[in-house]
Order: sequence, then C-alpha cells, then structure tokens
Amino acid sequence: MSSGEVQTAEYLQRRWLNIRKLLERSGPFCHPDFEPSAEILDFTMNSCKILIVGAGGLGCELLKDLALMGFKKIHIIDMDTIELSNLNRQFLFRKNDIGLSKAKCAVEFVNKRVPGCEATAHHCAIQDMDDGFYRQFHIVVCGLDSIVARRWLNGMLASLLQYNDDGSLDQSSVIPLVDGGTEGFKGNARVILPGMSACIECTLDLYPPQITFPLCTIANTPRLPEHCIEYVKVLQWSKENPWGNTIPLDGDDPHHVAWVLEKAQERAMKHGISGVTYRLTQGVLKNIIPAVASTNAVIAAACATEVFKLASSCCVNMNNYMVLNIADGVYTYTFSAERRADCVACSNSTKVMALESDATLQTIYTKLCEDQLFMMKSPGITTIINGRNKTLYMSSIKSIEERTRDNLKKKITDLGLYNGAEILVADVTTPNTITIKLNVIENLDVDMPS
Amino acid sequence: MIKLFSLKQQKKDEEGTARAGGSQKKATAAQLRITKDLNELNLPKTCSTEFPDQDDLLNFKLIICPDEGFYRGGRFVFSFKVGPNYPHEPPKVKCETAVYHPNIDLEGNVCLNILREDWKPVLTVNSIVYGLQYLFLEPNPEDPLNKEAADELQSNRRLFEQHVQRAMRGGYVGSSYFERCLK
Amino acid sequence: MASPSPKSPEQSEKNKQYDRQLRLWGDHGQIALEKGHICLINATALGTEILKSIVLPGVGAITIVDDCTVSEEDIGSNFFLETSSKGLNRGSETLRLILELNPAVQGHAVQEPTGQILQENPDFFKSFTVVIATALGEKTIKELSQHLWDINVTFVLGRSVGFLGSFRIQIKEHAIIESHPDNEQPDLRLDVPFPALSQYLDSIDIETLDLKDHGHIPWIVIIYKAVMKWQKIQNDNRWPMSRKEKNEVRDLIREFIRKDENGIPINEENFEEALRAVTTALCPTFLPVKIQDLIYCSAATNLTKESSPFWIMCSALRGFIEAEGKGKLPLRGVLPDMTASTEHYVKLQNIYRAQAAFEAEAVYRKVQEIINQLHCDCISEADVKLFCRHAHNLHLVRGSSIASEYQSGPVASYIARHLEEPDVMMVHYILLRASEMFRSEHSRAPGDWEPEGDIAILKACVSKLLTDVSCPPFPKDDHVHEMCRYGGAEIHSVSAFLGGCIAQEAIKIITKQYKPVNNLFVYDGASTNTATFTF
Repeated sequence: MSSGEVQTAEYLQRRWLNIRKLLERSGPFCHPDFEPSAEILDFTMNSCKILIVGAGGLGCELLKDLALMGFKKIHIIDMDTIELSNLNRQFLFRKNDIGLSKAKCAVEFVNKRVPGCEATAHHCAIQDMDDGFYRQFHIVVCGLDSIVARRWLNGMLASLLQYNDDGSLDQSSVIPLVDGGTEGFKGNARVILPGMSACIECTLDLYPPQITFPLCTIANTPRLPEHCIEYVKVLQWSKENPWGNTIPLDGDDPHHVAWVLEKAQERAMKHGISGVTYRLTQGVLKNIIPAVASTNAVIAAACATEVFKLASSCCVNMNNYMVLNIADGVYTYTFSAERRADCVACSNSTKVMALESDATLQTIYTKLCEDQLFMMKSPGITTIINGRNKTLYMSSIKSIEERTRDNLKKKITDLGLYNGAEILVADVTTPNTITIKLNVIENLDVDMPS
Repeated sequence: MIKLFSLKQQKKDEEGTARAGGSQKKATAAQLRITKDLNELNLPKTCSTEFPDQDDLLNFKLIICPDEGFYRGGRFVFSFKVGPNYPHEPPKVKCETAVYHPNIDLEGNVCLNILREDWKPVLTVNSIVYGLQYLFLEPNPEDPLNKEAADELQSNRRLFEQHVQRAMRGGYVGSSYFERCLK
Repeated sequence: MASPSPKSPEQSEKNKQYDRQLRLWGDHGQIALEKGHICLINATALGTEILKSIVLPGVGAITIVDDCTVSEEDIGSNFFLETSSKGLNRGSETLRLILELNPAVQGHAVQEPTGQILQENPDFFKSFTVVIATALGEKTIKELSQHLWDINVTFVLGRSVGFLGSFRIQIKEHAIIESHPDNEQPDLRLDVPFPALSQYLDSIDIETLDLKDHGHIPWIVIIYKAVMKWQKIQNDNRWPMSRKEKNEVRDLIREFIRKDENGIPINEENFEEALRAVTTALCPTFLPVKIQDLIYCSAATNLTKESSPFWIMCSALRGFIEAEGKGKLPLRGVLPDMTASTEHYVKLQNIYRAQAAFEAEAVYRKVQEIINQLHCDCISEADVKLFCRHAHNLHLVRGSSIASEYQSGPVASYIARHLEEPDVMMVHYILLRASEMFRSEHSRAPGDWEPEGDIAILKACVSKLLTDVSCPPFPKDDHVHEMCRYGGAEIHSVSAFLGGCIAQEAIKIITKQYKPVNNLFVYDGASTNTATFTF
C-alpha cells in the first residue's frame, strides 16, 4: 500500500492551496504549453532542482521565497561568513551567527521553518564546483554582488549547452539563469535562457565601470576626501607598509581602517579638504555599496516569481530584463535585452575539425590556414588540459613561438589532445577566440580489410 | 521569434555524471579575450614581451627599450597582471625598473589614463603598450606622479635630461637611488 | 615589526549593524526611523513581508492588529508562522517570530477586530506614525480610511491577489526636505556672482597664467571668462542664452586653449570639461515655480502657532527671497568635482561654502523672528541649514482620501480616462476593487471554490464599478477570468515584491526622505508590469 492512500501527498496538502490554485487551473494568459494539473506541484517539489548562488541579501530572500513557492530541492552556495553589517537585511541570520557560514545558516533556518524543505548548503566558492555539479540543476538563480562571479557562472552555464549536428541548440541542455542585483534603492532582475536569449556577457556594458580617480590627481591635486583616502590606499600603504612588507591592506581589519583614516585625515588637513570620516574611509577601502532590506526583498521576489513561471509554465516569463528604482516613488521598466551574435560566452562558435589519429599540431595549423572552413592568417592555438591552460602554438609572440615551435611536430595525442577535445583558436579573421572540437577518426589504413 | 522554452520535458543527470566529451574545463571569457589580444599583439620595434610560463597568458612582462627621447638606451620592464574580470577591468600594470620619470613613481605606479579612469573594454593590451611607449617619448609634466621630476622637466629641461641619464646609468638623483638600466 | 596602533575606531555596534542603510538615509534618518511606530492590520503574508523590511532596519515599534486564527494556508504562504502556530492568534504568532529579527524593536499584538476598535476606541490609531492594512474588507476600508484621514494619520492599504497587487498611500500633507534627486543641477551663480565670487573670478587672468596653472584652473573660471569676453565682443551685458550664443562661448573657450610649438592645441582636461559644462553652467539662476508655489501657498503665508517647522521655514525662505536674496534661493554651497589644482578647488569651494553659510544664517534669523512672534517651538540652526541646502528640491505631497475613490467626482473621471486609453494597469485596479466587492457580497473570494461559475458574478461587480465611473463594460472577459482563476490566492513572491515596496514607502514617510509613491501603485507579476496613478 502506498503512503499516498493513507495520508495526503504533500503536494496535495491544504497548506499549498494558494499556489495550487495557479497550478491546477487554466487561465487566459497561461504559457501555451501549460496543462493545469496537481502533478506540476509534485514536479516543482520533488523533481525540480534549483541552485541559489549567493546567500546574502538576495540569497536569504530567494531561499525563503522559493521554499514558500513549493520548491524543496534547493541548493545554495556561498563562500562567505556572516558579519554584523549583514544583519540589517539578511534576515535569516542573528548576532549569534556572526562568523558562521551564510549558506549553512540560511539552510538550517529555512529547513526548520518550512516543513518538508530539503535545502542543501555549499560553503565554498562557485569556482570550486565543476560542470557535473551545475548540470544537475533545472534552474539557477543568482543573487551576487560581483560581476566576475556572474560572468563565471554565465560562462559555466553556456558551456553546458549542447548542439545538434545541424548546429541547432539542444534545448534540453539549457539551464535557465535568473539573475538579480541591487545597489541601494536600485536593482534589476532578468531571465536568461543561455544560448537562446541575451546572457550576462552579451550585455556586459549594462554594468557601469567602477569609479576610479586618475592616479596623478590622487598623488598631486586631491580635491575630494575620497582622493585623500585613495592616496593612502594606493600609494602610501605600499610605501610605508605599516604592518610589515607581507601584510596587504585589509578593509575588514579595523586597525588598518583606523590607520588609513588617520593618514587620510592628515593629508586632507594639509590640503584644506574636509569630510574624511570613518564611514567614508571604510566605504572607499571596501568599495561598499549601500544596501537595504526592501530593495533586496523586491528584486528577490521578482526573481522567485520568474523561477516559479519557468518551473511550472503557469505563465509566460518576463522578457527579459527589469530595472527597478524605489528612490523616487516605485519605478520599473521591463525591456528585451538583445543577444550579441558574436558573444564570447553564448554564441555557438564551436566548429568541428576532422583529423586522423596520427595527425600532428602542424596538421591542425595547416588546416586552419588552408581549409575553406577557416582560412586563417596566423592562428594562435591554446587548449585546456586537466583544468590548466596550455599554449600549443602562438607565432605572434616571439618568446612563446620559440618555446612552442616543437609542438608542431608532435602528434596531437602526445600533446594531450583526444577525440572530442576542444582547442581555442584566436586569429585576426574572427572577432573572438573560437572553439574547435577535434573529431579524431581512426586511421583508415589500419582498419581497412586487405 | 524565439521558440518558447519549457522545462517540462527536461531530465537532469545526477551530480557528477560526466557526459562524453563534456568534462573538459571551459576557458573563461577573460582567458578567451586575452588569447585574442596577445595573438594580435603588434609590438613596435622598441618593445618585446616575456612570458615566465608560456601556458599562463594572464601574467607577463613588457620590455620597452626607447630608441629616441630622454630615455633612449634604457631598458624598462613592466609587469602585466590580467584579472578574471578582463576586459571589464583593465590589467594591473606596474613598472619594475626604477625610473626617474614624471608619470612613474618610485614604487612603480604608472599614471596612464587608460590604465584607470579611461579604460574601456574595447581597448586591448596593444593600446596599453602604445600608451606606455608614448610616456617615454613624451613624458607629461601636467599630470605628475613624481612631482620633483615633473617640476624639473618644466623648469629646466637640461637638468632633467641629465638626471634621467644619471638614473639610467645607476646612481642617486636627490635622495633616491636608481639601479642601472642601460641596455 | 611592531604593530602601529592608531587610536581605535569609534564605531558603535549599532552603526556597524546599520552601516549599509545609514549610507542612504544618514544618522538623522535612522533617528527618525527609531521614533516611528507602525501599526499593521492583518498579518497576512503581505503584512509580515512589509514588517520584515521595516523591523530589520530598526523602526521604533510595531503593533499588529489581527483577530484571525492561523490556518494551514497561512502557514503555506507566510514565513513568520510555524506548524505549531496553527489555530493560534495570527497577530501574536507572527509578532513573536518577526521580533526575532531585531531585538531593538518594540512589539505589541492586539487581537480585537479592526471594526470593533474603530467603534469602541478610535483614538487607538492616534499614536501611530503610519497605519498599514492588508486583506481588508470593503466596509472596513471605507471606515478606517475615513477615520485615519480625519485624525491625520498616514494610511497605506495593500492588496495581493494571485499575480496582482497594489498599494494606496493616503496622506494629507507630506513635506520632504531631502528628496535625494538623482541628478541635481549645480547652483553656481555665474550669471549673478556674489561679491566674494566676483572678486575671485576677477583675480585670475587666463592669458597670463603659466602653462601648469593654465591646465589647473577650474572650468567655472574658464566659462566665466569666456562669457565676459563674449559680452565684450557683443558690447552687451546680456547672458548668453540661445544655442547659437552658447556655441559662440564654446568657440571662445577653444581659443583659450594653449597651442604647442607646432600650433596644435594642447590637451587640457579642464578645458575639455569646460566645453562639456557650458550648457549646465550657463543655465541662469532662477526660482523654480514649484518652490515659488510652495512659499506663497496659504500654509506658508498664514502661519499659526500650530504651523509645522517646514512651513515656518518656507515662510522665512520667502522673507529671504523677497529681501536679501533678491529673488534667489539661498546658495546651495556645493561645488561639483572638476579638474583643478587643490589650491584653486579648495579656495573656490570655501567661497561657495562661506556664502551658503552666510545666506542660511539670514534665513535662520528670519526663522527666529517668526518663532518669537508665534511663541512656538524652536527650530535648530542645523535644521535651517539643511533646509537651505535642499531648498531647490523641496517637495510637498498633498494627497487625497481613499474614500474619494468610492465617490463620483474627479477620481472617477480620472479612472475613466485611463480605462478608455485603455490602460491595462487600471483594469487590474478595477479587478482588485471588484473582487473586494464580490467578497463583501458573497463572503468568499471570486473563484475560491471553482473559477468558471464565478466569472459572471465578478463581471457584474466589474460592471457596477464601471457604471460608477461612467465607463462601458470591458470588451473581453479575460482579466475577469484570470482573477477567478486566482481564487483569492495569496502568492508569496507577489506579496514579497509588494511587501518590499510598501516597507520602503513607510520608511520614506517616517524619515521624510525620498519621494513616496503618489498615491496608487499597481503591480502585475504575470506581465512584470507596474504603474503609478495619482488619485
């Protein structure tokens, strides 16, 4: 006798009645694929695996939101530990938790609060996990404050895409990425279908560059209190090394901050500049971005709604980028960010090169220059072997050319290449470095029946 | 129009399941871009590069040996560190050779606009190389890092030239000592 | 090596905890927030999500009014309930779990129904800074909003059904000194320089500066000199206004740029900046109409002992503008950053600051005169200085009562105009209202049991509302159908979105910083669309 006959399966419980109404009923604005049924909640609860990247302001909200939207198999990854300044918005943490893993603390709290939730924590950097880890998820939702981490994750999801022989995208390899970001009273939320819609790398220019001051202004003509602090940070610290040569400036060390403050105030005083405060010093040293609970709540909620739509098809997704500003009233604007045909991350630039198993690197080089498919001028060839970059041949740089020239004579198998391996090729004839997949055919002579 | 995406049919592998040919690590966007930059590096004849590890394209040195101007005959080494956020952020460039120069301080900090406030992702390593080379041909006393050198260049070019020569031969200028850096 | 030991930083626990938000509303904003007392009526998921984002930043106190017992659906959508909460009072349970977020916040729970409080103890609401209500019945909305309007307590009404939600802010009058505009026009007075500025500008002769100084004079000086030269050429003391005239000034600036031995212009960053700044710098000093309206409105001209500090300061500001100010607002005293030598920049900055302090002092003297006449409470000099610094961006909200939405009149025709456009977000508002009407008539949400049967009944409610605003019925039933599909469900992520927004609106109102929504906000999570309407 299955347990379902004695007690109601969880997805049929009264507790979930609110979302069940959306999932078990059809409406005029549903996704064309949507077929209302109780099984959708069963799927979101028991099959759909979600990864939340970041357990900070957005991550805490996302974990709560998704747990209450009927997701159970949620993983959350964050390498950070809890600090006092997190507590004004990261509502799953208390003063007693300071110093503990954000991911673990958040998971523990939500699993306890929401019965049946099976969230899993990963207290590590996103780069510590391999493609096998990321491939297990149906949806990745990301609440990060770092562009580097976003770009890395975006690249990872793009690299998991599979293409059919005709070059078309195999949609079953697409892992949607829902991305949120906040800064003070501003934020954005977006839905990315890697390989199908604009990705992080396609729209990199939407991220404003960090404000930097000219070095000579800092050194000679300071005008703002920020210039004085930057002077101590960029020039004076390495000159004086107050804690010894090996100790870099740490914006989290209150003694370091106090030292910089004191020196910056001296400099400001000397130049008649006012406004060097502890708060400003810390802000400049750590590049602190203001953050408040409300903005994080709004952006995370917008992301959670999109995850719910993706998982259930109960409604068409946002297309595809929403900006928010709650400083002057509440303002949102949703627009369709466009893909870049030559995007380094998500355009399918992978080409295939057929080779015989006794081919040398010279064979590849010649094919790149002479084959109709490539017709390159002076290709530089690199690859990744056992996770490490390897330069196979690059003629444009003399020292590298000299050291890689011998590779040309080597058999590709002796260089660590194999059937299915990918090489990266840069050349003036293509806007980006392209990926070429090697298709190594067994030498015909060997298998030929005589 | 984009075909509507539906998650419904998807089946996911368990963690760790490798797919054929899918386990090779992918290059990062920064890696792809620097490969492109370096492959198309078109150095002026006064410049050369050195790669301590030919497999690590993110860390290298640029050597400039000016053949005209105040710094003719010198040999100046710059270290380039390309970070994971390249080209969103510029590479970190430092001058490893002690030099008496208005725009380079004694710690090796270089005041070149495209290395900081005017960096744009469309710029390349080549743009920086040309920028650095130009600093040796036309030191700019308007935006000094070494104020002493800048003031001197403006007030007494002859003296400045002598000091540059002395520094390149190895010796003291004021209270600062310079290692010999003539070719 | 021995560690250097600079004096240890003076930063309190509280400052560290609130650091990221203090950078948005400052220490004075935080003090105001800590004096705020929020009343929440009905601790639904929307209600607790609002409180969460007010309690975390440290509001003074919260009071939850809720007479409901916790249901299973509540637990499924409300994070501040536990399995063990089932059957207990919803207000007390959510209060207990919300207060865990911030021990500095005081909390109370009241288990009486709102209607009863309104009848038996209407003064109860007087002690709150803001009253927020969710999931309120039509009758209570009308009665409560009227009462709060009468006793002048700010009211925010939140709604969350399916993918739809809205909030309406009812506030009689809300004056904002620090509106934090995104980009502020600099206040430079180049067209009407005050004596210290004239003196400084006249002391510099661009032509004779050595090259190094030439590259380090602020663009303010460059533009001023170019205009002087332009006026000389024109033989006219007019200020250049037209596009053509501004271009002529730009040409003169280009002539100032030094040339090298080959006659090629030298790249001077300050001159580049001057060329870019011409449009903003040549904008003449004027009194914005918005501020003029403010200082001449009756609240500012007919002061009483009860007048708020804001109106007293507006009155003093008028006095200043009519006398010493000669038609101008007090100088802001903020110099934008620009390429310049430290010496030039700091000197110029001090000139602006000193003049701003001087003018603010004149306003302060007028404030004191008024206070002496009216015998009312003191206003500190710091407050007057803050007021003067932000005088260009003072903002006043005069709201309308929620009751007016239920009457024929200007609000009805406003709604009608938007429905005719047709504005789908206004359609959503009508549907939220119609389902409240449905609920009051049938004691359940439309589509609560099954959607199809309720479509016709909800449609009748919609028709009634549309008749009230003299609008034809909707051509299609799709939105009515969608509302019945929702069946009154409260979706957590939709409530969380609105909760974050409403919390911030409450904080804006308590701190009197940043502009709140004026006055109805509608959200559709299905289409990711939002709109603001002003009733």
